[in-house]
Amino acid sequence: MVSSDRLVPAGRSLLLSYRADRMRRLGSLVGQSILLLITSSSILAVLFIFYFIGRDAIPFFQAEGFREFFTSADWYPSGDPPAYGALAIFYGSAMVTVGATLVAVPLGVLAALCLSDILPFSIRQMVKPVIEILAAIPSVAFGFFALVVFAPLLQEHGGRLLAWVGWLVGGPLAVLGVVVLSDLATAGLPEKLRAAGRGAIGLVLAVVAFVGLARLGDFFHGLQIVTGVNALNASIILGIMALPTVVSVSEDALQAVGRELREGSYALGATRAETLVRVVIPAAASGISAAVILGVMRAVGETMVVWMASGNAAHVPEPWYDFLASVRTLTANIAGDMGEADQSLGSSRYHVLFAMALCLLAVSFALNMLSEWAVHRSRKKMRGQ
Amino acid sequence: MRLGTRKLIDRGMTALGIGSIVLLAAALLVFLAPIVVRGLGAFVFRGTIEYRQLTLEKFGRGDVDAVEAEQAEAVEARRPVYEMLSAYKKELADGHESLDEAKKQFRADRKEMRRHEGLADQQRADAQAELDRREAELDRRGEQLAKHEASLVELEELIRELLGPEPGQSVPVLWRDQYGQTRWDRAQVKLDQILNVETWVDQDDPDQPRVRVLVPRADAFEGTTLAPLFPYIENNAEAMLLPRLTFYWRFLTDTSFDAHFFGGIWPEILGTIYLTLGAMLFAVPMGVVAAIYLVEYAREGFLVRVLRTFINTLAGVPSIVFGLFGLAFFISTMHVSPSKSVLAGSMTLAMLILPMVIRASEEAIRAVPATYKEAALSLGASKWWAVLTVILPAALPGVLTGIVISMGRAAGETAPIIFTAAVSVGKPLWPWEALSQPTPALPWNIYNLATEHEAVDEIRHVQYGMVLTLVLLVLLLNAAAIVMRARISKKLRA
Amino acid sequence: MRRFIVFLVSAALGMVSPVAMAAETRIVVDGSTTVGPIAKQFAQYYMSKHPDVNVTVSESGSGNGAKSLVNGTCDAASMSRFMKDNEFQAAVAKGVMPVAHVVAVDGLAVIVHPSNRVKDLSLAQFRDIYEGKIKNWSEVGGPSLSIVKVGRDTNSGTYETFESLVMQGARVSGDTETTGSNGAVRARVQSTPASIGYVGLGFVDRTVKPLAVNGIVPNRETVASGVYPIARPLFLFTNGYPKLGTPLHGFVTLYLSEKGQEIIEAIGFVPVTDY
Repeated sequence: MVSSDRLVPAGRSLLLSYRADRMRRLGSLVGQSILLLITSSSILAVLFIFYFIGRDAIPFFQAEGFREFFTSADWYPSGDPPAYGALAIFYGSAMVTVGATLVAVPLGVLAALCLSDILPFSIRQMVKPVIEILAAIPSVAFGFFALVVFAPLLQEHGGRLLAWVGWLVGGPLAVLGVVVLSDLATAGLPEKLRAAGRGAIGLVLAVVAFVGLARLGDFFHGLQIVTGVNALNASIILGIMALPTVVSVSEDALQAVGRELREGSYALGATRAETLVRVVIPAAASGISAAVILGVMRAVGETMVVWMASGNAAHVPEPWYDFLASVRTLTANIAGDMGEADQSLGSSRYHVLFAMALCLLAVSFALNMLSEWAVHRSRKKMRGQ
Repeated sequence: MRLGTRKLIDRGMTALGIGSIVLLAAALLVFLAPIVVRGLGAFVFRGTIEYRQLTLEKFGRGDVDAVEAEQAEAVEARRPVYEMLSAYKKELADGHESLDEAKKQFRADRKEMRRHEGLADQQRADAQAELDRREAELDRRGEQLAKHEASLVELEELIRELLGPEPGQSVPVLWRDQYGQTRWDRAQVKLDQILNVETWVDQDDPDQPRVRVLVPRADAFEGTTLAPLFPYIENNAEAMLLPRLTFYWRFLTDTSFDAHFFGGIWPEILGTIYLTLGAMLFAVPMGVVAAIYLVEYAREGFLVRVLRTFINTLAGVPSIVFGLFGLAFFISTMHVSPSKSVLAGSMTLAMLILPMVIRASEEAIRAVPATYKEAALSLGASKWWAVLTVILPAALPGVLTGIVISMGRAAGETAPIIFTAAVSVGKPLWPWEALSQPTPALPWNIYNLATEHEAVDEIRHVQYGMVLTLVLLVLLLNAAAIVMRARISKKLRA
Repeated sequence: MRRFIVFLVSAALGMVSPVAMAAETRIVVDGSTTVGPIAKQFAQYYMSKHPDVNVTVSESGSGNGAKSLVNGTCDAASMSRFMKDNEFQAAVAKGVMPVAHVVAVDGLAVIVHPSNRVKDLSLAQFRDIYEGKIKNWSEVGGPSLSIVKVGRDTNSGTYETFESLVMQGARVSGDTETTGSNGAVRARVQSTPASIGYVGLGFVDRTVKPLAVNGIVPNRETVASGVYPIARPLFLFTNGYPKLGTPLHGFVTLYLSEKGQEIIEAIGFVPVTDY
């Protein structure tokens, strides 16, 4: 493919004199240092980011101290005197992130399991692009969807929607639970009674599960959703956005678990589900946790979706788990207030946003370290086995 | 546990897994369906005669004769509307006149009565009652007239919104007032508003909110000369507006007019292209060089571990923090431009995608079989020569794939450009202007139009069109990457 | 050889001149989202008359407009409030002399969903709602629904006007949703039956119901005459009075022309002068 005369520049002999060799080594050293310099630009970039965000964040802490910022939920930067209690905003970020994780992690890990162990190769090849497309869609498009399509839907038919979801998720789980429980409960009975006992217990459990689900559905149905832009909306959309990350990283982790482990488990007579739950998932645990962490990072740092979908009310909802209330997150607060804070004047109102950015940065840095540690551990474990 | 149960659990697990995949695909579908369907509405819609007139007058496009012929047709169909309106106005004026007449008469009569002092009490009281009755009647008529007039004002306004200003009246200053509804779907909404009045009715229970009731507007004009107007408008709406299937591909290449009411999204598209290409300009050389260093030169050790950690950290920095950093560093400290500019935005975006480029290039370079390099080295090439002439060309398709995917990411990012590059209105820039000037860009303008525009509802089609364009742009880039990758893997296998 | 040099020089000039021209003939407007529609329409009208001028409009809030003017990064700052003391001081310290052009008058309309039977609120009730003292519509004669309060970002000009004219020192309660613009407030209110919000008069349309405040309905007359209690002038600030005859001068004085007033009226604001 490449002709040999291009490989050796013309006029250069293959036999090198001592001097030429030294020159060449020197040249390559210089070249390498230049390469290293360029590569270290990412180190520089990170340091610069920390420095410049920190530089504008420190005046805030100097002027206002730490206490109010981290412990008070009284956010009133335009007041006289202003109040800079960001607790409610931290809480909003945490709430939306937890919500998104609740959506993304079970779904993502299940999908990853399905991709790595259940689906045949040909179908997997078809599903992968779906996930890639989901990963590629710009966040502002998701935000637009959340605001224009999903929020009105949630506001008008939210109760019914939630009830449906409850049935859809709870129904199959309940069936499975009833069967397993009735089987376990009758394990101690003598052989002859077992079938009858299973039937009876199963019936009772089924009725209980059905009534429970029905009550849950009624509860959801009766919910009055006053505003469609709320923590729930932001959580669901964010969760869907974080899904591809969770799926692809945990799938990698699952793939990295060798065939030997799986085959050994099958050889011992385990079913696929048992193999997955008892062998594969524990082996891939650190990789999966890295996936979860990366998903969480995606949710914490996302701006447009939460800005458009969360309602931006800077308060801790009452009760605290009320996902139907509007909340405000750090990212949305920065985006919304930054444009308007009087920057040139170096006011606390400007610097407080940098303080928030610094917190975001610190959190994402910590999460990143955590995920790296998890990945590192999983590699070591794999190698050990 | 019984074998049957274990099998059932196994099946359940399989079902759950497949269910989650189905849910994932369904989520994608639920998201894409409205975007695609309504987004296409920006390109393909039923355009009315007002649309064709606007295109002809403002953009100089279309067949003059055909449009004039159609216009004549539409004017003919609209004539009765204006005739009925003016007839009704005359009726109102007549009503005023006769009311004034009656008032004059009433005042004269009252004066007359007061002059007659010799009347008996009974008679006097009767006369007074009669006068009061007449006064109340006059008041009622006056109120009725005022109500009719108010209804007429609203009706005329609505008709103006539907059909544009009445021929012969002064031309309004805003484009949106100069023409009637250009899109048949919007026209139907307006038509509905003309035919029905949205009223809100109290419920018996004061704790309940009022309910929306549609009352035919014709009710307000019952018994007047205007009553036939409503059936006429209802039956002849198509004749008045002549909707026709219209393809507006130039939505992509027209600039916007009248705050995005008309025209297309070219400045936004161009801005996005500049920002993306600008970001690639900075990120690609740095990213590829870094990848070469990491794969070919660096020895695994402390330094590389640190490098990788920092690259991962950079990848994890929230995008809004990049925006703040771009503002604080590129604009306020480095002064690369006096204020927001494409240049500052590109640099900020470049930092954001740098880790992506590095990782993708690294992977591509790593995938080049070691035998290539060994062969080159054994032929006496120096290491950098081997990298330059053998490894890079072999890795190029893979590197390009990574670049294309990062381009998609850069094109869709909003948060980093809010403070560094994006404005709501601006005209398309020349490349040299991009250094110092800010630009509209698709992602930012989607946010802007969806939340900050003064008529959010009336330009939904533009918003959807923008979202569709952006999503398609990104997906096309990704599709290209997927195809490229498929080719590479085929080649590697062969 | 000479020809080559000529070519080089002209090419260099060709490269440079557009840059120079571009620098001279652009007007950067930054600031309030309330003044945004006016600025955008002015920009378009002005560009249609002067195709060689590029007018860019950012709507990032009054505070940012002031900041940009102080930093010299914009030519005209559109603001829905007057400049504050510290902004003036910062401007003067940097050698910028802000000059105010009052382009229009705007009333802050209190809007609710049309399904709400409440027609009238006193200023005190309005304040109590946002302070969180009144939590349910039934307390002010409406349906039994808990109030969804929609407000603006704490440093938009609209918010500051609201704060000084309505809140008068009281604090807005934390559960108020905040949005980035007038259009967003209206969009929220028109889709939420239990909501209340405040927007510039120009943003009131058929989909929302403006309330009378202290018995006075907001409209052009009551706002222009100052009878309506929540009204304010809208400004364009420039650094010094722009040099006569420059594009900037033409742009910021558009509001004095008949066309300019027509534009202002067409998008729902009240012109400052009557023709």
